[in-house]
Amino acid sequence: MANLFPRWTNELPLKAVVCVAALGGIVSGLVAYTATPKYTRVGYMPEQPIPFDHSLHAQQLGMDCRYCHSFVEQSSHSNLPADQVCWNCHGPGKVKPDSPKLQALREAMDESSEDYTGRPVAWVQIHETPDYAYFNHSAHVNRGVSCVECHGQVNEMKVVYHAKPLSMSFCLDCHRNSEKVLRPLDQITNLDWKAEDVDKDAFYAYLADKTGKGVEDLKKADSHKTFDRLLIGGHLKEAWNVHPPQDCTACHR
Amino acid sequence: MRWFILIVMLLGVMVLAGVGHRGQKFTSRPIEIFPDMDRQFKLKTQKPSEFFADGSGSRKPVAGTVPIGFAVAGDGGPAEFTFSHGPEYASTGMIGEYFGDGFPTEYPVDEALIERGRERFKINCSMCHGLSGNGVGIVSKYWTLPPTANLLDSRVQAFPDGQIFWTITHGKGLMGPYNGTIAVRDRWAIVSYVRALQKTAQP
Ligand code: HEC
Ligand code: HEC
Ligand code: HEC
Ligand code: HEC
Ligand code: HEC
Ligand code: HEC
Repeated sequence: MANLFPRWTNELPLKAVVCVAALGGIVSGLVAYTATPKYTRVGYMPEQPIPFDHSLHAQQLGMDCRYCHSFVEQSSHSNLPADQVCWNCHGPGKVKPDSPKLQALREAMDESSEDYTGRPVAWVQIHETPDYAYFNHSAHVNRGVSCVECHGQVNEMKVVYHAKPLSMSFCLDCHRNSEKVLRPLDQITNLDWKAEDVDKDAFYAYLADKTGKGVEDLKKADSHKTFDRLLIGGHLKEAWNVHPPQDCTACHR
Repeated sequence: MRWFILIVMLLGVMVLAGVGHRGQKFTSRPIEIFPDMDRQFKLKTQKPSEFFADGSGSRKPVAGTVPIGFAVAGDGGPAEFTFSHGPEYASTGMIGEYFGDGFPTEYPVDEALIERGRERFKINCSMCHGLSGNGVGIVSKYWTLPPTANLLDSRVQAFPDGQIFWTITHGKGLMGPYNGTIAVRDRWAIVSYVRALQKTAQP
């Protein structure tokens, strides 16, 4: 009987397995790379009705985030400023009242202009958690978590973009190691804050006041450690009794 | 086999070029991979709503009602955080037709109030009036007519407390109103801090 299968078919099953494995590997690699918020969200930079520049207002003019995002400490939702807030500086007779970039603001506020509609400026929301997850700004901002941990260096952005993934694992990574990020409460909106800026004596005096321990005891216990963020965060976590929740019902209620 | 490798490599290059890398800037709405219940049909803060005729999700309180956490005149003490527009001195700065002087009994001056005022002054006033209140904050350089008021000069020193409160609430001349962003207690806190600045300023 003639040889039904030529010689090259001997390797066929092996080749098929290799090809399928290679394709499978490539596809799963691609999915792992692209199907996470690190890919789908980070970098989202929608076009806004007014090209508002944080690096100018927050950095150069030195405005505090809370001048505009005024209720971030009281509310679960960090508000965008009402148009009146921009109008206080960009109204008639003030800063660049006729700038073409501010057209949408004049439509909303300037009753004497013929373009007046009274409709508020329609900012496009960038950071948006899904509705099945509960998030609260005031719970974080009042516990020593700065804007920069979740929004990146907004004070240096000409146009705001989504800088961090804000995925569930991102939330949990911090909830498990919150001592890495905690900082004194008056530095929450100072996005350039560094551990070196902290006045050691004042810090230990504050700790002593909070925990009831002696300043000298606290200092002695730390004498061989470097005074860095981890140390500061660890102390604050203990002093404030911070326990970020990790059970599902905290965020999925 | 050679063909397979070639095709995979070609496809790979094409896909990689299309996919790009993480963190690239883009302007279209992010894809939601499992969109179930991500966006629910409910009222959300500062969002429009198709449900109401005027398209606005933020509703005004029904006439004669008061939102939770807001103070009602005469119901025993103010709420911690209120924008109340009641008729009493604490929320108007006026007694009858005149500016009142002194702090309302609801917000007695103590160290905590002045400290709060220091923080709020820095946030809300300092870029125009300057950290020390001398009227030369960074923004005052961009607009010159009329000059941003010097809070330390004798004219403002002579204001009754109620007039400073009223100025924060309603604005004055080119200064806009801050009744939408600064709560009543914080306005009085700022007044107390302005007073402290005036006391410590060199005459
Ligand atoms: C405290 C005052 C202040 C507030 C509040 C303020 N701005 Fe500005 N803005 C300025 C100054 C000062 C400049 C710089 C003007 C210049 O470069 O001459 C500026 C510049 C701008 C420009 C660039 C204008 C141009 O033609 O170059 C835009 C756009 C702008 N602001 C938008 C806004 C919006 C939107 C808001 C409200 C969220 C706002 N600003 C709130 C002070 C302010
Ligand atoms: C002059 C007013 C003003 C100041 C000061 C300001 N912001 Fe904003 N911010 C805005 C406006 C208006 C928008 C909406 C337009 C945009 O996204 O550019 C915005 C948007 C944002 C967003 C994106 C919101 C979204 O849709 O997800 C973040 C995050 C943010 N600001 C953080 C900050 C931080 C942090 C600071 C302090 C360093 C700050 N802002 C200071 C006015 C301000
Ligand atoms: C622990 C993380 C975290 C911190 C800290 C944080 N944010 Fe946010 N921020 C978020 C998330 C998550 C959202 C999306 C919320 C949503 O969908 O309602 C958001 C949304 C926003 C928005 C957009 C709201 C809207 O409706 O457009 C602004 C503005 C904002 N944050 C400003 C700030 C400022 C200013 C600070 C610092 C004072 C800050 N955030 C601190 C996580 C954070
Ligand atoms: C950079 C650190 C950090 C990140 C990121 C972070 N959290 Fe938190 N979270 C904290 C801290 C600190 C607390 C306060 C715990 C306490 O008060 O004991 C907290 C508390 C909470 C609480 C409890 C609040 C309450 O009302 O009791 C919830 C819910 C929560 N976080 C949800 C989230 C979600 C959702 C995200 C992701 C979008 C997130 N967090 C991201 C640090 C973080
Ligand atoms: C710190 C807050 C937090 C905790 C605790 C938490 N989650 Fe989440 N979860 C989130 C956030 C935020 C998202 C939305 C993530 C996103 O949009 O990328 C999410 C998304 C999810 C999703 C949907 C994923 C998708 O893409 O459809 C599931 C399922 C889920 N969580 C289950 C759980 C379970 C089970 C637990 C308890 C073990 C838990 N979560 C605990 C914050 C939390
Ligand atoms: C956007 C810039 C700006 C901000 C922010 C600002 N002011 Fe003013 N303020 C002015 C200008 C300009 C004048 C002068 C107005 C005039 O004479 O027309 C003024 C005037 C005043 C006066 C004198 C009013 C009078 O009757 O002559 C007082 C008091 C005052 N401001 C207090 C404050 C306090 C308190 C804050 C903080 C809550 C504040 N201002 C925030 C710009 C500002």
